[in-house]
Amino acid sequence: MKALERHRKLTTIWASEPGFRGWFSTVNHTDLGRMFLTTAFFFFIVGGLLAMLIRAQLATPHSAFAGAEIYNQIFTMHGTIMMFLFAIPTFEGLAIYLLPKILGSRDLAFPRLTAYGYWCYVFGGSMLLVAMVLGIAPEGGWFMYPPLSGPIHSPGINTDFWLIGITFVEISAIAAAVEITVSVLKYRAPGMSLDKMPIFAWYALITALMILTGFPPLILGSVLLELERAFGLPFFQVDLGGDSLLWQHLFWLFGHPEVYIIFLPAAGVISTVLPVMCRTPLLGYGWVVAAAVSLAFLSFGLWVHHMFTTGIPHMGLAFFSAASTLVAVPTGIQIFAWIGTMWKGKPDLRLPMLHILGFFCTFVIGGLTGVMVAVVPFDWQAHDTAFITAHLHYVLFGGFVFPIFAGLYYWLPHFTGRQRFFRLGEFAFALIFVGFHVTFLAMHWVGLLGQRRRIPTYAPEDGWTTINLISSVGSFVLAIGIAMVLLDVILHGLTFYRGPRNPWNAGTLEWAMTTPPPAYNFASLPHVTGREPLHDDPELPARLARGEGYLGTPKHDWRETLTVDIASGRPDMHVIYPGNTRLPIVMSAVTGLFFLSLLLKFYWTVPVAVAGVICLAWRWVWKQGRKDDLEPMSLGRGLKVANAAMSRRSPGWWGTAFLLTANATFFGSLLFGFAFLWTVAPGWPPPAWLAASPFELGAGLAGAVLSSGAMRHTMRTNRKGGKPVLGLILTLAGALAIAFACAALMTRAPAPVEHAYGATLLVLGGYGLFHACLAALMVVFLIARVRGGYTSSGRQAEFSIVTLWVDYAAVIGVLILLVAHASGFSS
Amino acid sequence: MKDILRILIAPLTWLAAFSAIYGLHGVLCASGISGQTLGISWVRLILMGAYILVILGQIALVAVLYHPKFASRSSFVRFVSHATGWVGLVAAIWSLAPVVMTSHCG
Amino acid sequence: MLSGAGVIFALVMVLLVLPYRAQNGPKGETRQIRVWIVGLGLAFPMTVLAALLGYGLFVGEQLLPRDLPDVVRVGAEGRQWAWTFTYEDAPGTTTQDVLHIPAGRPVDVAITTADVIHSFWVPRLAGKLDAVPGRANILRIEADAPGVYQGLSAEFSGAGYDRFTFSVTAHDAAGWQAFLRGDER
Repeated sequence: MKALERHRKLTTIWASEPGFRGWFSTVNHTDLGRMFLTTAFFFFIVGGLLAMLIRAQLATPHSAFAGAEIYNQIFTMHGTIMMFLFAIPTFEGLAIYLLPKILGSRDLAFPRLTAYGYWCYVFGGSMLLVAMVLGIAPEGGWFMYPPLSGPIHSPGINTDFWLIGITFVEISAIAAAVEITVSVLKYRAPGMSLDKMPIFAWYALITALMILTGFPPLILGSVLLELERAFGLPFFQVDLGGDSLLWQHLFWLFGHPEVYIIFLPAAGVISTVLPVMCRTPLLGYGWVVAAAVSLAFLSFGLWVHHMFTTGIPHMGLAFFSAASTLVAVPTGIQIFAWIGTMWKGKPDLRLPMLHILGFFCTFVIGGLTGVMVAVVPFDWQAHDTAFITAHLHYVLFGGFVFPIFAGLYYWLPHFTGRQRFFRLGEFAFALIFVGFHVTFLAMHWVGLLGQRRRIPTYAPEDGWTTINLISSVGSFVLAIGIAMVLLDVILHGLTFYRGPRNPWNAGTLEWAMTTPPPAYNFASLPHVTGREPLHDDPELPARLARGEGYLGTPKHDWRETLTVDIASGRPDMHVIYPGNTRLPIVMSAVTGLFFLSLLLKFYWTVPVAVAGVICLAWRWVWKQGRKDDLEPMSLGRGLKVANAAMSRRSPGWWGTAFLLTANATFFGSLLFGFAFLWTVAPGWPPPAWLAASPFELGAGLAGAVLSSGAMRHTMRTNRKGGKPVLGLILTLAGALAIAFACAALMTRAPAPVEHAYGATLLVLGGYGLFHACLAALMVVFLIARVRGGYTSSGRQAEFSIVTLWVDYAAVIGVLILLVAHASGFSS
Repeated sequence: MKDILRILIAPLTWLAAFSAIYGLHGVLCASGISGQTLGISWVRLILMGAYILVILGQIALVAVLYHPKFASRSSFVRFVSHATGWVGLVAAIWSLAPVVMTSHCG
Repeated sequence: MLSGAGVIFALVMVLLVLPYRAQNGPKGETRQIRVWIVGLGLAFPMTVLAALLGYGLFVGEQLLPRDLPDVVRVGAEGRQWAWTFTYEDAPGTTTQDVLHIPAGRPVDVAITTADVIHSFWVPRLAGKLDAVPGRANILRIEADAPGVYQGLSAEFSGAGYDRFTFSVTAHDAAGWQAFLRGDER
């Protein structure tokens, strides 16, 4: 088969539908990556316009530009949009676009999930935009501290938009994180062992794992606060056994890792782009990986440093002060690894490098002021002043926006296959750099003079007028610079000036394809022997196009790729992807209906939406699978591996495992919240404890043992060729027993609206009920699959996935019942 | 997956221990335990005991990660797991040092 | 702290500019790792940070309220958007938005709130401390000389936040006694 013929054949298999219809049915990572990045950049512009309004307001004293109510909405939305709708989705978009290409694969692990995540992001973000246009946007600050955001002090719908909209958007973050984790671990080119992974993939993996463990506390906090607002369960009301500090813990348990979730992908961009600009490999690859891993962990031990002024004992503060200073060390290692790379190579001053130098200047200042505020006494003064605003913008703009612009200009030729013709970018960089520093250096200063954050006006006699005016002028220079970047990118897209295939002479695999990239990425998959395959073999692109790699012969109209063993990179499974479908957009729309019903308190449509999601999810998984066993597949180059459906550790199993990791973090945060309220909240003990019920406890424990044991037995029976249906029915009975016990616990929770204790038991029981029902539903699905002939002794992948969910439901069911009854006993 | 675990285990243990000691400190202060032995308050003695246990645990982890029986076959993973092993130990000593340095329930 | 930060920043900038000027010969990767990563990346920040942390904890300890014989105790209750102050030495006396204290004596302010979270901050007297529902956080302040000190609530609290300020009046010994007797009100 000739290269061109192969290209045509692969294109018919992989292409999205033509025209704009393709947007709604595409599951291709290149399309979705571009859509993610475009949407995120749109939100960046919106957030930037809000920032302009803030600076316009603060430019003069006694400004009548916006009243306090509107101003509060503006700064709340600015923070919310930049954090949740720009920064995180930009990382997701970049990773979704880049990872399969840089890892030498054809798509991400779960293409439909990518699309689902994208549409959840679009719909959730739109909810917030609509709120803003209608003037009912959230107004409690992006941190949403209760009681200010509680039902008493914020009775309007504004706060609900935040809680529900952001939770909706976070579904997309969790989906993308599962996707990225499994893709980096399993979907790599053959031979790409962990030490040969491009450094960006390491950063993406670490970031994704951080999202999986960092976001659940916030999702939990949002759920609890929304329950308090909608149904009066008093988790954060101190006179009813709640505690507003619980929110702060949950929020910052998410909020501090969030800063590093934003910084690490940007560091990944720098670690990828900077060595290319210096024409040398990265210095100390292993050190940088170790530093990034350490940074990720240390960042989870810092959350209380946002709470230094809440009256926590000094030793408690000192722990977090110490950990906060320590986190500067792995950051320092990365910075000096980059500078060392510059010394090792021959750095140039092309546009991406300019932005990286901008990063260095800005981020180092942000890091140094960060060390200052990690010192407790200094923070007691600086906290909640404009100094902190300036610090965090140095960290986030320096640590994210400059590197992302570097990445934008670095990969722009890859996105479009063109070269820049007009050289606006350099001038734009100068404006951004100068404008940024003028704006925020001034803000440090006015903060030290005592200007608080989030005030809508100030008086002339405060003496801040000149500095604020300078800051506002700087911010408009910055805005013009960003508008020029936008113009530059649009002009780039409009000028047909073809560029070379590998304009930067990079060594990573994304440049081993024609640009703009074909839908299938690689005509055949490479065998990787080093970290920079293109430098090792400059002929690689041509050889891949000729089909000399793996899976070079398209067959059966299958979208094929392969997975590898995590550590060694040896191929271990053959994968067939699903094709184009509108299922993801429909399902996210129905998910949106669920959230919208909660938001507007149309409770009668909630069950409709839930039923809709169940039906669509059923269809989603049903469409995959086959009624016959597949022989081991030939991958080319004399290699044969089994199909994923024949494996016990299929991609779906891995995805489930990481989704359950996030889920377990959510559950762990819930238990933490319970323990926190019990030991720390002032309004305890509650008026009544749970009365122990041996029957309920016994039913739940027996159900857990039965479901878990029967499921294991079923798996063994199936593998040996026996009939699995009877075992599945026993599993179902066990799961229903757990569901019954948890439902009983919910009905017996003492006075949930009168004390946080009962409210917590209600939520615990609800969590158990939900998971037991979910496990039961999956078992029913599996029974239907068995009867439909979709499983066999060989096709066992679905059994191991359901086993994970059944085990999870059993474990949390037991824990919930034990914790609830133990609390009753202790009284 | 084992290789990923080798890399993550030491800092993960630190994170668990760090949170546990912070929680223990909160519980001890809330419980109102008072009393002294050898001029050191019981709260601080308990915390110091936990501190020493944590450090010993992290030392044990470093030893395990260096032990040929448990080490990875990949020299890269060996290097990174040793590095993160040391990170766990240093982070434990550093971040929990306030146990012996600051007043506990003020 | 600021000058130290300035020196570190200047160092990084110089290190960034030099590779554009000098032509470095190829050196061993091990040696470069030792210089850049182990030396500048690991040892250097650890030393600086250890010193800084020790200093911070020491100062933090000094600022803690300790039991002294002549401590004056007052209460501060925030609500949207006013502070109410009470005095242990003058039961029944309350003042709005003006806190009276004696100069030259340590004062413990018990800070709490009637509604949402606020923060009590008199920049010239002490750092800030939050008013959290259901809790009374104790802040030690001390004014060296009589006079009026401006105070702010420093936690976002909704629509009236920008105007939410107060003042502290520090009296000399005679003035304090007069205040306690109620002469001034």
